Amino acid sequence: MKKKAKTVNFSLSHKKYVKKLRQDKFIVIFFRIFVLVAFLGLWELLTYTKVLDPFFVSSPSRIIAQLGDMIASGTLFHHTWVTLYETLIGFLIATVLGYLIAVLLWWNEKVRRIFEPYIVVLNSLPKIALGPVIILWVGSGTNAIVLMCVLICIVITTMTMLSAFINCDEGKILLLKSMNANKFQILWKLVLPSSMKDFISVLKINVGMSFVGSIMGEYLTSKAGLGYLIVYGGQIFKIDLVMSATFVLCILAFAMYSLVSLLERVYKK
Amino acid sequence: MNEILKFDNVKYFYQTKDDEICALDNISFNVNEEEFVSIVGPSGCGKTTILSLIAGLLKPSSGEVILDGSNKIDTKKIGYMFQRDMLFEWRSVWKNITLGLELQKGNRDEKLAFAEELLKKYSLYNFKNKKPRSLSGGMRQRVALIRTLVLEPKLLLLDEPFSALDFQTRLNLCDDVYEIIKSEKKTAILVTHDISEAISMSDKIIVLSSRPAHVKDEIKLDLKGTTPLKKREDSSFSGYFEKIWRELTNEEKSENG
Repeated sequence: MKKKAKTVNFSLSHKKYVKKLRQDKFIVIFFRIFVLVAFLGLWELLTYTKVLDPFFVSSPSRIIAQLGDMIASGTLFHHTWVTLYETLIGFLIATVLGYLIAVLLWWNEKVRRIFEPYIVVLNSLPKIALGPVIILWVGSGTNAIVLMCVLICIVITTMTMLSAFINCDEGKILLLKSMNANKFQILWKLVLPSSMKDFISVLKINVGMSFVGSIMGEYLTSKAGLGYLIVYGGQIFKIDLVMSATFVLCILAFAMYSLVSLLERVYKK
Repeated sequence: MNEILKFDNVKYFYQTKDDEICALDNISFNVNEEEFVSIVGPSGCGKTTILSLIAGLLKPSSGEVILDGSNKIDTKKIGYMFQRDMLFEWRSVWKNITLGLELQKGNRDEKLAFAEELLKKYSLYNFKNKKPRSLSGGMRQRVALIRTLVLEPKLLLLDEPFSALDFQTRLNLCDDVYEIIKSEKKTAILVTHDISEAISMSDKIIVLSSRPAHVKDEIKLDLKGTTPLKKREDSSFSGYFEKIWRELTNEEKSENG
């Protein structure tokens, strides 16, 4: 619902108030951009004047040149797509599976109590420790990377959703019970819709976590992808490549986060 | 008048790990059709337990709860209204009041028409597609009441439905709810610790003792006036108030002493 612009003449103090709001917003946006431009400018200046050695810290102009080369040769698109693909698959599997497990654990209290300590341990275990085992089990390459991604996201998904399900308003459950609802109806009509907010924050967390998973997976074992470029660039001392890949990662993560935010806005309407 | 509810020597124990707590001790009373009965008592005496027993959410430890001639509680005959309105924020007013129908099988057309009629009758039709957050506290409770009425229960259970509201809204809503219940010819049981609310709305008041609760007194009321607000002006109002007040304070004294 958009509020229609009112043509009523407000008092002077209201005009001042609105003006102040607008000013504040402008200042925030201005300095946001300023920080970025200043950072890039300083970086470029310091490397151009050789105060900092571009061999170690790269520079904005060298990153742009590197990206240009990679776009021309088509490798940038290939590597980006590989990472994006792994991340999305891992993200989807972890979110769906983690959600379903949370539903299962909500459904059966005994099962929940049995598995509680295991989930806690799994949550605090650094998943990277499983790296070698993962490669042994599912082989190197995409499978291993996706699995790493899933392992990192799934536990937090299950834990967050389960606690959202359990914290569902007891009074509303009682209301449905007094209306003769069965357990499935309580789940479907109340528990799932009332936890939508938590689901969206899980999605937001998982956007970040799934990139951690896929990049970590690519560090372990890969022939392509942004994580591969970063490791490869580091090994041959080509920091331009490392920085370029990191830059693209930033853009991907931001794009995925924006998509989730968009989803949130659509849901809130 | 026909009897719709009967409590026959009902006892109820709550089980905890270290203890067995007797909440209700030989409770007996009955409610006739189209009667408005209030249950008052010191807080924590087990008023809500009584409603839960009627609604079939709990089973008596001994004794019988007989609803409409059967000791097997048919939840379809019961409408439960809570202290909080329990509206689902993500559903529109219409989707909220038809929630109970969604849970049922079979043909709903007739009941949907009835729901629409209730909305119109109690001037909430304009808010049909609004979300509950744009409604005032009093309106929200009216929506909650309609949600209950749509299922056409024989007996309404009201668990302090007004206590979360400010005084002004509360008095107005009392009148509204009373009018709705009377015009729909419903039987209602109200649990409250507001004595004047109980007197102004009820045909009969059941006074409970502190835990373990037993029926201390049953008071039949006959006040003039068509609405709870008018009934408060009746000359015998303060007499009833004092009587119940004394019974409840004695109870607290004996509890402390």
